[in-house]
Amino acid sequence: MNGIHDLGGMHGFGPVVREKDEPVFHADWERRVFGLLTATLALRKWNIDEFRHAIERMGAAHYLESSYYEHWLHAIETLLIEKGVISRTELDAKIAELGKQEP
Amino acid sequence: MLKAEFVEEAVKHGGSTKREKRIKPKFKTGQKVRTRNLNPIGHTRLPRYVRGKLGVIHHDHGIFVFPDTNASGLGEKPQHVYSVRFEAKELWGAPGTGGGVIYIDLWDDYLEPALKRAKPKRVRK
Amino acid sequence: MSKDHHNAPESDVALRVKAIEALLTEKGLVDPLALDKLVDTYENKVGPKNGARVVARAWVDPAYKKRLLSNGTAAIAELGISGMQGEDMVVVENTPKVHNLIVCTLCSCYPWPTLGLPPVWYKSAPFRSRAVSDPRSVLKEFGLELDPKVEIRVWDSSAEVRYMVLPERPKGTENMSEPELAGLVTRDSMIGVTNVTLNSNSGSKA
Repeated sequence: MNGIHDLGGMHGFGPVVREKDEPVFHADWERRVFGLLTATLALRKWNIDEFRHAIERMGAAHYLESSYYEHWLHAIETLLIEKGVISRTELDAKIAELGKQEP
Repeated sequence: MLKAEFVEEAVKHGGSTKREKRIKPKFKTGQKVRTRNLNPIGHTRLPRYVRGKLGVIHHDHGIFVFPDTNASGLGEKPQHVYSVRFEAKELWGAPGTGGGVIYIDLWDDYLEPALKRAKPKRVRK
Repeated sequence: MSKDHHNAPESDVALRVKAIEALLTEKGLVDPLALDKLVDTYENKVGPKNGARVVARAWVDPAYKKRLLSNGTAAIAELGISGMQGEDMVVVENTPKVHNLIVCTLCSCYPWPTLGLPPVWYKSAPFRSRAVSDPRSVLKEFGLELDPKVEIRVWDSSAEVRYMVLPERPKGTENMSEPELAGLVTRDSMIGVTNVTLNSNSGSKA
């Protein structure tokens, strides 16, 4: 699709910004999302091409404003629901349940 | 379910999308090609910057799963993937773009021979 | 895309991840210990030191270099390096006349077995957009100014082939051992945004 992910040749994004001594993961949730990609691909409910396309379907503003592993989270969440592995309802319920436990 | 004890093997082995098939390549190394002007609403790995452009086949990587069909439940449709070389001028126009030659990996279905007419044949009335 | 800007508060994102992992674990679909293992592998075990070994070997062994350039996957596997996001490898050589740069304009494709996981900048809009259209300006930002006569080849990783640059061996390294040579090879030189120098250090990511 002619989505925002197709960045080759675009102008206006400014200089390449680098972080000194950048860690592999910036937060623990990034680690879990990283692991979840391989673990959910192993379920064979979708393939890597569907995964990439789920990221491409994010919507331009959302794509640009969110971090890399948020893209992965969005795609995994979207595909889990679209493929019927989990439902939106049960995910929302689990979020609410865990949210109550947070300090 | 991927269990912890199989992670090492899964990581080491990976999941190549190369396929052992007897499929003839449509293009040869050194052949001039033009990329198609495809604008699918589904998944594709043909970026906008390289559509409808003239390039040269640099290398045939072999046969791989085709993402455009694989991402939309239409099957693997394995086909040859080529490294195709494009001059910066062809992609970006005037010189002064900092030069460079771009190599990009493209599937058979993204390409047509360069000698094919760019415009449709005129129909005799 | 800036890593500092989240569409949702960080805590919301973390909660969503926690919820997904919890749900899938309850359903017997994922093993949290498998996730731990995957994280440990790529956070601590797989990284650019692998690629540096490949480069050092190619520098000291011309026959290995020939094999590396003709079948990257097989030659890299000779050193015990293989796997996810590196199943089909191509290694491209820098020479005095040719400089190579790797990018994935469409997402973030990167040769994990040899270089580990990519840095944020590699996956960012500035690099992905400009590497193919103005590579010289990108290299300049990394402190690398090439002679205008040097041909810059940019490899856009649009398929499942994964690319790695074989940087030039710097002068003055004639008496260095293979491990010492590997110690000079940086991740950035194997992406192609910098060269290897006598002062570079594979311990620093750059």
